[in-house]
Amino acid sequence: MIQEESVSRQSVAARIDERLKLSAVPWSRLSVVPVVIALLVSLALPWATDLLPFGKFVLHLLILFFLWGIVVQGWNLIMGVSGIFSFAQVALFAVGAWTSGVITQQLGWSPFVAMWFGPVAATFVAVILGLPTLRLRGAYVVLLTLGFQELFRNFTTQGPNFVAGGGYGLRYVPKFPFEEWVGGDKAQFLYYYLALVFFVIASFAIWRIFYSPIGMAFRALRDSEVYAISRGVNPFRYKLFLFGFVAFFTGWAGAFYVHWYGAISPAIMLFGTTINLLAMIVIGGWGSFWGPIAGCAVLTVLPEIMRAVEQYRILLLGIVLALVAIFAPEGLFPLLLRWVRRLLGRQA
Amino acid sequence: MEKLIQAIYGGIVYGSIFGMMALGLTLIWGALRMLNLAHGSLYLVGTYIAWALVTLLKVPMVPALLIAALGTAVVGFGMQTLFLNRILGKPGWDVGSLIVGVGVGMALDQSILLIFGPRVKQMPPLIPGVYKIGRVVINYNFLVVVAVAVISLVLLSLFLSKSRYGLAIQAVSQQPDAAQLMGIPTRTVFLIVMCISAALAGLAGALLSTVYQVQRESGANAMLMALVVTIFGGLGSVKGTIWAAYLIGLLQSFLMVYLGAGTALPGVFLFMMIMLVIRPSGLFGLGEAQRL
Repeated sequence: MIQEESVSRQSVAARIDERLKLSAVPWSRLSVVPVVIALLVSLALPWATDLLPFGKFVLHLLILFFLWGIVVQGWNLIMGVSGIFSFAQVALFAVGAWTSGVITQQLGWSPFVAMWFGPVAATFVAVILGLPTLRLRGAYVVLLTLGFQELFRNFTTQGPNFVAGGGYGLRYVPKFPFEEWVGGDKAQFLYYYLALVFFVIASFAIWRIFYSPIGMAFRALRDSEVYAISRGVNPFRYKLFLFGFVAFFTGWAGAFYVHWYGAISPAIMLFGTTINLLAMIVIGGWGSFWGPIAGCAVLTVLPEIMRAVEQYRILLLGIVLALVAIFAPEGLFPLLLRWVRRLLGRQA
Repeated sequence: MEKLIQAIYGGIVYGSIFGMMALGLTLIWGALRMLNLAHGSLYLVGTYIAWALVTLLKVPMVPALLIAALGTAVVGFGMQTLFLNRILGKPGWDVGSLIVGVGVGMALDQSILLIFGPRVKQMPPLIPGVYKIGRVVINYNFLVVVAVAVISLVLLSLFLSKSRYGLAIQAVSQQPDAAQLMGIPTRTVFLIVMCISAALAGLAGALLSTVYQVQRESGANAMLMALVVTIFGGLGSVKGTIWAAYLIGLLQSFLMVYLGAGTALPGVFLFMMIMLVIRPSGLFGLGEAQRL
């Protein structure tokens, strides 16, 4: 926002120039110091948690945060930035998980190899799903994607035995061989680092799209489809690309999940998971880059703190969700950011 | 022959039930342009009110059904006045209303869980007894359900086409701005639509509780089928929705009878997807760009 204001004082030519430069060299937006600090901190974090009495648990939460962070960022790109009301992201996550899990179980391949088939399968499925879905809009997309999720859940509970496992989903999936490499306690560290690498790569890719001309095209499609089309944006092609692109990372997270837990149940595709992820996006900040990440952090930690009053938490979350949609449609994180800026005396 | 009778009979039963659920959704879409994802939860509210009245308070069936419908309408009224009215007509209504629906639905579901507990419950049938045609068993209870559903559908369509408020609802669905300029109190109309839609969902829930078991998951399933029917019929079209309800009901029933129960849901969705590719605005829908 600050940036836009200062830009508006410059001439139009300079503005265009700036935008071109930003899209050509996007990392000029990020300053080196915070990024390096963030990376160093996240590298050191496992050792720091090791000092805590409940450190293992914190590490577990961090890995969860990375996983759902990937899914949520992708979903935000689809829903918040380009306005496609897809409710099938958890199903695509599950497609990735199931593909990778079944390959390791049935073919006996290493998780490191199988892991790559998850995202590819998820992308493939997303494109197939996108072909009929993305020509439609709004409510129709909600229905078709919800329907797809329901179908896939049905398949994973009642399908052939190597998929459904008699209704329990996949169990005893080979995990990453970290325990054999470094022994019990430190294995979680390696899971953490792998999740971190996934998270950083996915975030960077999504960030890159977010601030690129393509990202601008998506925002144009969301805000005024007619105008976007008249300026040469092919909505179907762009949306299909985005759907497949996001599905890749979503499937990736799924594949990691299954080799981390060693199991996955069809229950993950019940509406609850989807709503939880939606809450992360909405509460964090619909359509902003950092919002969903912040929302994901809050809603990964909060349930663990409120475990004792779990049932009231969900009740509360529902009400908060509705209230945020009414009183802070842009999300809590941008609101908070603005308050902080105002406190610091800067114009926002 | 027996299979055929069974399939048709099942189709009519499903169709009537889907019709009640879907009509509420389509009315809301028509008037408010909102995909109400709390519809399944309203259905659950109806189910549990009816169950509590009949088994805990020993209220007779007919008043219990009416009270369930009324109670759900009150919940819908609350949802509209407390939440939706605040964002009505503002930019971002699409997203906002969708999320309000999800949030309110979540809160309702969870309140039901907190009040009634997770155990699956059983509701006595409206009228016990069966009638047999050959090997096809016709449940009196089902017939009553169908009768109530059809009567309420007929009453509703009469209300929509004949009464003052029904005409107002139609006017608002067609052109909200023009309707307002003509002196129709759109906010009141929205409120009425929400109450009717909620009452329908509640009545459907109460009726169906005598057919299926009373459990929390049934709300989501019912809503999914209602969504299929609504979209198949063309969002916002009452006539299309009723046609679609019976078509989808028959399709599901035929799939169940001839190919096995497991094929019903995938079959319906597959049909749905093909249909949407061929005719993206449903059976009787207006052009897509006009509606969204």
